[in-house]
Amino acid sequence: MMNVITVENLRKTYTTYKRGSGFGETVKSLFKREKVEVNAVDDISLAVKQGTICGLLGPNGAGKSTTIKMLCGTLFPTSGKIESMGFRPYEDRKKYVRGIGAVFGQRSQLVWDIPPVDSFNMNRAIYGIPREEYRKTLKHLSELFEVEEIINTPTRVLSLGERMKCEFIMAMLHKPKIVFLDEPTIGLDIIAKAKIREFIRSINATGTTFILTTHDLEDVAQLAEYVIIINHGKKVFDDSLQKLQHYVGEKKIVALSLAKPYGFDVPAAVGARLIEQKSPVELVLEVDTAKTPINDFMELLSRKVSFLDISVKALPMEEIIASIYAKPSKE
Amino acid sequence: MAFVTFKEWGAYRSHSLVSVLVGPVFFLVQYFIWTAVFHAGPVGVMELDEVIRYFAATALIGYLVMDFADWNLSMLVRTGRFLTFALRPLDHRFFALSQKVGHRLLGFLVEFLPCWLIFMFLLGIDMRPAYFGWMVLSVGLAFLMNFYVHYCIGLASFWVVQSGGIRSVYSLLGGIFSGVLIPLTFFPMALQRVQFFLPFQYTSFVPAMVFLGEFQLGGVEMSIPGIVGVQALAVAVAFLLAELLNTLAIKRFTAVGA
Amino acid sequence: MRVFFSAYRSCVAAAFATAAAYRINFLLSLFITLCFNLGFPLVTLLIYNAGASFPGWSLFEVLLLQAIFTLSSGLASIMFSGVLWATMQHVREGSFEVVLLKPTGPLMFLMATNFSPDDLGLVVGGAGLFAAALVFVDVSLGAWPMFLLLFAAGFAVMAGLNIFMAATSFKWVGNSRIPEIFDSVMAFGKYPMGIFPQAVRGAATFVIPVGIIAYYPANALLGQVDASMAWVILPCGLFLAASVWTYRRMVRLYEGVGG
Repeated sequence: MMNVITVENLRKTYTTYKRGSGFGETVKSLFKREKVEVNAVDDISLAVKQGTICGLLGPNGAGKSTTIKMLCGTLFPTSGKIESMGFRPYEDRKKYVRGIGAVFGQRSQLVWDIPPVDSFNMNRAIYGIPREEYRKTLKHLSELFEVEEIINTPTRVLSLGERMKCEFIMAMLHKPKIVFLDEPTIGLDIIAKAKIREFIRSINATGTTFILTTHDLEDVAQLAEYVIIINHGKKVFDDSLQKLQHYVGEKKIVALSLAKPYGFDVPAAVGARLIEQKSPVELVLEVDTAKTPINDFMELLSRKVSFLDISVKALPMEEIIASIYAKPSKE
Repeated sequence: MAFVTFKEWGAYRSHSLVSVLVGPVFFLVQYFIWTAVFHAGPVGVMELDEVIRYFAATALIGYLVMDFADWNLSMLVRTGRFLTFALRPLDHRFFALSQKVGHRLLGFLVEFLPCWLIFMFLLGIDMRPAYFGWMVLSVGLAFLMNFYVHYCIGLASFWVVQSGGIRSVYSLLGGIFSGVLIPLTFFPMALQRVQFFLPFQYTSFVPAMVFLGEFQLGGVEMSIPGIVGVQALAVAVAFLLAELLNTLAIKRFTAVGA
Repeated sequence: MRVFFSAYRSCVAAAFATAAAYRINFLLSLFITLCFNLGFPLVTLLIYNAGASFPGWSLFEVLLLQAIFTLSSGLASIMFSGVLWATMQHVREGSFEVVLLKPTGPLMFLMATNFSPDDLGLVVGGAGLFAAALVFVDVSLGAWPMFLLLFAAGFAVMAGLNIFMAATSFKWVGNSRIPEIFDSVMAFGKYPMGIFPQAVRGAATFVIPVGIIAYYPANALLGQVDASMAWVILPCGLFLAASVWTYRRMVRLYEGVGG
């Protein structure tokens, strides 16, 4: 497979102003502000293969969005080189963006007060999509998403899930070769998330490359073949999903509220450890599901203690990065 | 608490810049208009010099009394955040008023003072009030008037979902009848007389006339202490109205239990 | 360009569809915008009512000038004011990327997607005032071509002012008072230029040609302008071009060129 995007030594440095606290500094800031340099993206190189789904992960403020913006051609790098589909995105923006699509979970591209179908039509005109082709694509996409009805109701009355589906259609109408997804499932319920993921997979099957930024590890585990992790503007991981799971293990976080206090001593063989205890009855455990599948663990747990509330979550981003740092690379 | 808003606005030094730019430019346009209008002789009951000082004064008074408590309040009501105030022992009116005082103190420093200096020394307009004490009192009353009226409009959000319409109508009437556009003495007599019973003139025209040192409207001439007294009375009415509306609103609020 | 017009048409249709969805609100805001913008003809009326005048101008001549101003600013608002608010919002929320993701120029895209029929009230009001003033002023048929030419030139200035405002909002993030600055500058275009000193008149013709918005077109209708005045198109065109250039430059800065 050939690379559709290659990035070499990408850097982005911002200059911001320091804002003072306290009366004196407030008054001072009225006249003179202190400059601060921030390296949002610090020497990142990467390659994305055509037709893959690539996950781009990192905690808040790690430089994910900045990287995506540069890949989309909407932000100039301070230095470094990007090549995408034979374009330099930031130099040939207008030509380049014709071939890409983007869905930003928190920034709607639909017009709020009119039905999505009118927004779609606007995009048709802007991208100069021939009417016949547009009709076919729209029909196909709205059937796939089961939104034939709702695309005729004003956007403002749609549920978040319905709106996200329409955002996807909006981004796909011009049949982009690369699609950037920024937190595409944020705030959605489980069913809607599953639907969106299914949709991404089916479009991906036709050869479209996806670049996915997300907080939701579940998105990555379900979709991505390759994962790139960024922290503090630097790349800390760039390999297959399997490799990541090898690093991290298949760990889950289990938060428990107990009916009565219980002195916890989990046998090491179970593969669980106590990571936080807020009170005698509130515990947070990390469970290695490679050693004990979550089903078995729950069974074990229910035999030992009576709990009022329980939640099972994926490992938070910070933990993953910490465990990547902790295990020295074997290569 | 006044300090918190003081600080939050400190970040927006550009606001000050806008005022320092816009105030004098608008004033200059007025200056040229009225100089041209007076070319053939006296117009109305004011002298050219008075008209010019009048416009300079209304511009400056604007910086000291400006208010959008109504907007804040209707936001709070619409988003349901008003509840957090209803639960606190602190009265929202007190909070809003302190916030306002903070804003206007900042306005005094970054808008009023620079513009006053520009008017006084750059444009050579005599910006010394006729009676300093009465002037301060009248501007203070204008500030309160503006605050209470806007607060009442904000409270309207309890009854009307979108108080935007009421707000636009008020600011439209205020724009015309506060005296910012043109001294009220230019209006037809009947309209002038009505102004005594409306809130508008007390926020701008009255303090501007106190600045000039003589008050006349609707054929009525009043001494400065006299008109400031009337102004105080009007503020008292606005205050009582705000109190009444507030009581009714809280009642309604708890009844709805939103 | 063809693509742009097709996009523009579909966006305008969408904008009117929105307005229709909120009919009452739409009509109310039409009316309120109109009232807010008739303050200065009101002042004119009160001044003439008090027996005074602008030297050399009758009441209806001044109202004609001010009607032209209202008309021009109304048309410009419909087409360009949305660009300012959209730019301001995108910059404040850091979502200008959404605009840059489209394969068109940002200015074109924002113009098309932010057509604001709300300001139709101004055009209606301006046109009404214009028609009323015409009844009381003698206008020869031959004066119209020159009027249209100068009106177009003045409209370019209006457009330029709106685009400059939008460009400013890249630098002054979230400053909702930007329009006040431009309003104050535009105020010089709302009155017969004769009342201003020579220096102001010069600046309002050559530097920021706000004088050409209404003063010259009104003079053309009143038969005070001959064909040689056509040169004023030049500063107007330059002003518009400068505004577009500035906006583009601001977009480049937003993209982080040399930033």
